[in-house]
Amino acid sequence: MDPIVKEIRSILGENNDFFLQRDIVADSAVVLLCLDTLVDMQKTRVVLQKLTHGLLSQGTSTQDIWNVIGERKEGSSHKVISAIKEGKLVINIEGTNRCILFEPVSKMLNRSIDVSTNENVIKGALNSFNENIEINIGLLRKQIVSSQLTVNTFSIGNDIPKSLAILYINGKVDTKIVEKVKSLIEKNKKMDISNIQGLSKMFEFSTWDTISKFNSTELPYNASQSLKRGRVVLFIDQLPFAIILPNLLWDMFIVENDRNLPQPLMIALRCLRVIGMLIALISPGLYVALVAVNPEVLQIEIALSVLQSREGVPYPAIVEVLIMLVILELILEAIVRLPKSIGPAITMVGGIILGQAIVEAKLVSNLLIIILAATTIGNSTLIGAQNFTSIRIYKYLNVILASIFGVFGLVTGFVIICAHMASINTFGKSYLHINTGRSEY
Amino acid sequence: MVRSLHVVILYLLTHLGLIFFMFPSNIIASTQQGHWLPILIGIFVHVLFLHIYMKGLNYFPGENLISIFSGIGKGAVILLLVPVLLYFFIITLITVRAYSEIITLVFLSFTPLWAVTLLLLIVSTYVAKNGMETVLRTGLMLAIIFLPLFLFVFILSFQNVDWRYFNPVTPDLNFLTSRSYYESFFVFSGGFLFLGFVQPYFSYERKYIIFSALLLIPFFIFSVYIPILTLGQATASVTFLPFVVIADSINVSWLMFDRVTLFFLLSLISFMILYISLVMCKTILIINRYVPSIKPVHLLYILSSLLFFLCFLIPDWKDVEKLFWWNTLLRFYVFIAVPLSIYFWGVRKRKGKHETI
Repeated sequence: MDPIVKEIRSILGENNDFFLQRDIVADSAVVLLCLDTLVDMQKTRVVLQKLTHGLLSQGTSTQDIWNVIGERKEGSSHKVISAIKEGKLVINIEGTNRCILFEPVSKMLNRSIDVSTNENVIKGALNSFNENIEINIGLLRKQIVSSQLTVNTFSIGNDIPKSLAILYINGKVDTKIVEKVKSLIEKNKKMDISNIQGLSKMFEFSTWDTISKFNSTELPYNASQSLKRGRVVLFIDQLPFAIILPNLLWDMFIVENDRNLPQPLMIALRCLRVIGMLIALISPGLYVALVAVNPEVLQIEIALSVLQSREGVPYPAIVEVLIMLVILELILEAIVRLPKSIGPAITMVGGIILGQAIVEAKLVSNLLIIILAATTIGNSTLIGAQNFTSIRIYKYLNVILASIFGVFGLVTGFVIICAHMASINTFGKSYLHINTGRSEY
Repeated sequence: MVRSLHVVILYLLTHLGLIFFMFPSNIIASTQQGHWLPILIGIFVHVLFLHIYMKGLNYFPGENLISIFSGIGKGAVILLLVPVLLYFFIITLITVRAYSEIITLVFLSFTPLWAVTLLLLIVSTYVAKNGMETVLRTGLMLAIIFLPLFLFVFILSFQNVDWRYFNPVTPDLNFLTSRSYYESFFVFSGGFLFLGFVQPYFSYERKYIIFSALLLIPFFIFSVYIPILTLGQATASVTFLPFVVIADSINVSWLMFDRVTLFFLLSLISFMILYISLVMCKTILIINRYVPSIKPVHLLYILSSLLFFLCFLIPDWKDVEKLFWWNTLLRFYVFIAVPLSIYFWGVRKRKGKHETI
């Protein structure tokens, strides 16, 4: 056995899925090495034999065959081992220290391209990204058939390498952003990254921002439109979504598929989402402000009916609202990860609590249930899970300020939120920026 | 154009925030009849100096007021920049104090004054913390949310007007000797200096700013005339904040709210918060230039805590008015000297260039 094979075996031999076998390929004795959890050995053998037979019958010399069928590595076991870990078949020609990295038939470890599960599409392309980074890039290549689409891949991480790809369209993208992204990736290449928080650290963003600087989408169509508008798309291997940089406020309100509807309807839908956000932010705070601090703002009849609905509720409005909001958040959070068979139970129980029971028990007022429903529904009109969550958090600021300062507190809460959004800046591009398609901004 | 938009919006919002509170009562107190003349004179002076100021700034592309003055020399810094700094400080103090008083008066009668002051200062500090660019962008957001609300109530406030109160139209010139007329220049001089501070971040076209100044004319005029047309001069002159009283009297049966004024005031107060943070931002920019060793953010914290404690030294509204009057001289000095000096140095700089060529 050659020293390089011995070395590889000493490192990988502990693994039960390490495959090492002698074989005859192209009339020479070889050793085949791979991980059989990644490589379909039976099929690979057939392919390899057929290929070499064909070449031999054409009169190609053995030497040339080795050059043709794969990449040659000599001497260094380090690179060969990482190739095995990546799922390559290594062919070691006996008696030499030479290894050929052959592209085998892989085991089917990827799910097929499927309909997106977290982003529902009404009118538009249905397929979605999956865990394999090459498939994801391929999907985007299909969407944008252009020589201007540039793909750069990087291998990042020290202990557990991962591939990271950045995509952009030359001529549309702001070159400053691309350069900044590339230089930061190069600088922090040693970081082990497998999620968006890690990516934030790599790009040296503050990890305490409530609004993410990345937008993400499962839909190749959305990602391709973002690319066309001059944004940068990133993929991390094994994450089934595209990460779009920078994230903008406007992304909360628009879906690219809106454009498959007539324009007036599109505008109406987008207005609806803006209203949804405003309702989600205002209504709980306004309730607290009007009930507890500034009841004189309401017309007397309405003020009376509001008070009547609160009759018997033993604690101040702020406590009432916070209790209900927390229960609501718990329901939302509980439903997310439950198996589909148990989920409806939570919905039902939650429905009972939030419906009649809690009102009849005189724990909260009738009106509050309506307010909460409006808040949640309004909040849910926003696009993208992360945007949905950040707005969900902001309403608490408004509720607390409104409980102390009434409607004035609500307004200051709004000013704070606006200022926070205005202060977010990703590589020189403001969060409130609108026309990414143009070079001037 | 898009970049002008932010500046134009900020210009509009800060002025709208300033107009509707003290300005109507000052003008109404200054003369018995023909209020349009004092208002128009004020606007004319405002637009004139605005034009001179912008023209002067135009000679220094990409520079802000601080770099221009320090480029001229030490004399300019002491004679112009120091008064500007002092002026900014005093108007922040007055504005914070006055507006917290107004807020407690109108809708938070049970909340202690210090709490309102504190909130005003904290929010303004938060907005100012991230610099001029954030202030400008926040302005745009606030305009989108609150400007429609404001315009809605403004239009509603015509509900009870009686156009016959417009008489007598003929003005008398007594207002020129009236103290409150000169106090009313707070509105004309307070807002426009920021144009000299936005330069490195945002550019703007002069004509848009002049347009928006002209756009403000109806607001200037009607902020005074709506109380007069509704209540008559005699009654309007004894009300404390005439426009607020008028907004309070609006009755719209189909609206679920009884006091529409609240929304009006709150939108204006959000504009005022913007104004306070803008002035704070400018103050910090100036101080930071000469004390670069302290971080601007820390300076801002020091400034706002100082303001908070100084607010306690002003016990009631009478003292606010006193301070307001004392500040008038400084205000006129800054209002006149800064635009003229910028213009003068700009012309000289250009001439000097021609001569060297």
